[in-house]
Order: sequence, then C-alpha cells, then structure tokens
Amino acid sequence: MRRITELVAILSLILGVSVLLVLAASILLPGIEVRQLAFFYLYTTINPWFQNYTVNSPEAVTAIVWDYRGLDTLFETSVFYLALIAGLALARGLFSETPQGSFNEKTHGLTTIVKTVTRVTAPMIIAVGASIGLHGHLTPGGGFQGGATIAVIPLVFIVVYSTLFLIARGVTSNKMLVLRSIGLLGIGFTSIAAFLIGLAIGRFAYVFQNMPKPGAVVGLPADINGALISGTLWFFNLFEMIAVAAGFTIAFIILLLAGRGGSGGR
Amino acid sequence: MDAEFINTYLLLVTLTSLLANAIISIYGLFFKPHYTKKVIALTILSDTMNTFAIYLGYRTWVNGVNPRPPVLTSTPTEKSISEFTARAVDPLPQALVLTAVVIGLAVTLFLVFLGYILYTHYKTLDMREIKKLKG
Repeated sequence: MRRITELVAILSLILGVSVLLVLAASILLPGIEVRQLAFFYLYTTINPWFQNYTVNSPEAVTAIVWDYRGLDTLFETSVFYLALIAGLALARGLFSETPQGSFNEKTHGLTTIVKTVTRVTAPMIIAVGASIGLHGHLTPGGGFQGGATIAVIPLVFIVVYSTLFLIARGVTSNKMLVLRSIGLLGIGFTSIAAFLIGLAIGRFAYVFQNMPKPGAVVGLPADINGALISGTLWFFNLFEMIAVAAGFTIAFIILLLAGRGGSGGR
Repeated sequence: MDAEFINTYLLLVTLTSLLANAIISIYGLFFKPHYTKKVIALTILSDTMNTFAIYLGYRTWVNGVNPRPPVLTSTPTEKSISEFTARAVDPLPQALVLTAVVIGLAVTLFLVFLGYILYTHYKTLDMREIKKLKG
C-alpha cells in the first residue's frame, strides 16, 4: 500500500510539473531583450565614454563579482573560510597521529610511470590554473576557478606519491593555513587600497572603490604600461587564487589523513 | 522545420530535464537512507538550481544569430559596444551562481567533515541505524 501511495505521489508530482511547464513555456522562454540592469552592466563594463561608471574590464561577470557587487564576494570568501575553520574544528580528533617515517621513493606511491607523468604534468596544471586566475578580468575565469585548478596538484600528489611526500616537501596544513591567511589579508587590503591612497594624499575615497568616481577622484589605474589590469580586479583575482588553492589543499590533506591514525575507521 | 521551432523545442527539453533532475535529487535527498548519497543528491540539486539560474539570464536567437557570452572580445568602440549589448547574455545570474557554487562547496565540505564525525561516533552512516541508536 505504501509503495502505491509513493508511486501515486511521484506520478502526480511529475504530471503537475509538466502542466506547470506547459503553462510556463510562454513566460520562461528567454526573450530578445535582457533586463535593464543587465543592459547597464553590459553597457558600462568597458566603456571609455562613461568614465564615471566603467570598470574597464571586458569580462562582465568578473566586473560584477569584484566591483559592482564586491562586498557580496568578500563575505562569500569569508563564508568559505569559516566553513574550512568549522571543518578543521570537527576533524580535530580524527588525525591526532601524523604519519611517521620519511618518504621512500621505492616503497611509497604508485609506479614509476605514473610518478613521471605526474611530475611532467604538474607544472602544466599550475600554469593553466595561474592563467585562468590572472586573466580573470579578460577571459572567462577568475581567482576561484584558477585556485580550484591549482588545488588539483596536491590531491594528485597525495594519491600518486602519498602524504609523506607532501609533508617532506613542507606542504603541511599549518603552512597552508598561513598562505590562506595571506591571501585573505591581501583581499582585505585590496578592498581598502583606494581608501588608503586617499588617506595618504588627503583626498576623499570610498572603501571598495576601483575606478575614479565623481566626488572621489582617487582610483587604481586601469592598465599598467598598456596591459589591462582593471584596477583592483587583478589583485583580487591573484589573492583569491592563493587563498582558494591553499584552502582546498588544507581540506584535501585533512580529508586524506583523517581516515588513519585517530579513532576513525579505515 | 524552421530554426525557431527547433530552438524552442531544445530549450523546453533543457527545462524539462532540469526539472526532472531537481525532482530526482529531492527524492534522493529524502528517501535514500545513506548519508553520502544524501550529500550527493544535495550537490546535484544545487547544481541543477544553478543551471536554472543561468538559464533565466539566457537570450533567444535572433535570425539565426546565437547569443554570446558576456565577454567583449574586440576593442571597445561605439559600434562594438552596441553590438555587444544587443547580443550578450545576462551576466548577473552567472555572477550570482559563482557565489552560490563557492558557498555550496563550503557547505559540502562541512557536511563531509560532519559525516566523518557521524561515522566515528556511530560506526555507520545509514540514517535508519543512526535514528534507532539515539544519542
């Protein structure tokens, strides 16, 4: 009886949704025009004739993420940081015993073929991640995506070489926490960079200001020697990349250590 | 068949599959007894909703010209900017989805650590067993 009730419930859900879909087809199909707000973002993301509104970045998404709605992203970064701290606090009893002994090329890890391929591809992955992160204001991508790409490297090395290798090379969760804090401090300082410059030269400037605005002429340069950096966007992407890569490395190290040692399972 | 019909049809197929995905993941979230499967269903649900948000910012094809991503690839002149605003999709849902993905990832990370704690405490991740054990 219970099975039949469940079946009827699921079937009626599907039928109801399909009726809704038919009704929504006229509303939910995308139109020819975008919303007025989107039009504003697209029109001013790089526009030499609207110097008071533009971000000087051809990538509208990064412009929204770090300039128009930069405060959102700052707090989103802090949410990620707090979740990581919560994870560390939850895992505190699970990896009390750090793995002992030193790394041995012969006995630890996978075969020589896998190790050699990993050695060859690791710099390439780092280069791709850095390119995604540091070109975030020009092409799709940004600090978060670049950092997530770079964080693949420690994961691959843990799987291929073992955690001992990473610890022998000095990649410990404490050092990564320091690196992550440096990234977060960089994000914090970049967000008040224009304000600090304004304080130093005695002009009015806003917190989270990027380009010069009417009434607050202090701003960061849009390009350095002809290379577009879009003011604060490049620095935000750089520090976010460092913070995210270090944060993911902490998570991987703890998750892959947690199974051993402590009172946990195998 | 003209292009407009095929376009509408494909968009509706996308919408339907997104909704089916959402329903299946909600089912998995509520009825699958294992903790890991619940976490996986939650991830699928959040990804579905993110795709749906991006879909809301999409534009239709005009005379066989498809919409382009919100990235200006040419030198900013009056003409290229007006062409860009006429054809680029809405960047705001994409920016919000970027935020949502990061927060979803943080939540998933927290849930995974919580799963570790659950396992060390109860020696199982089956929710029926955990419900029976109480405390």
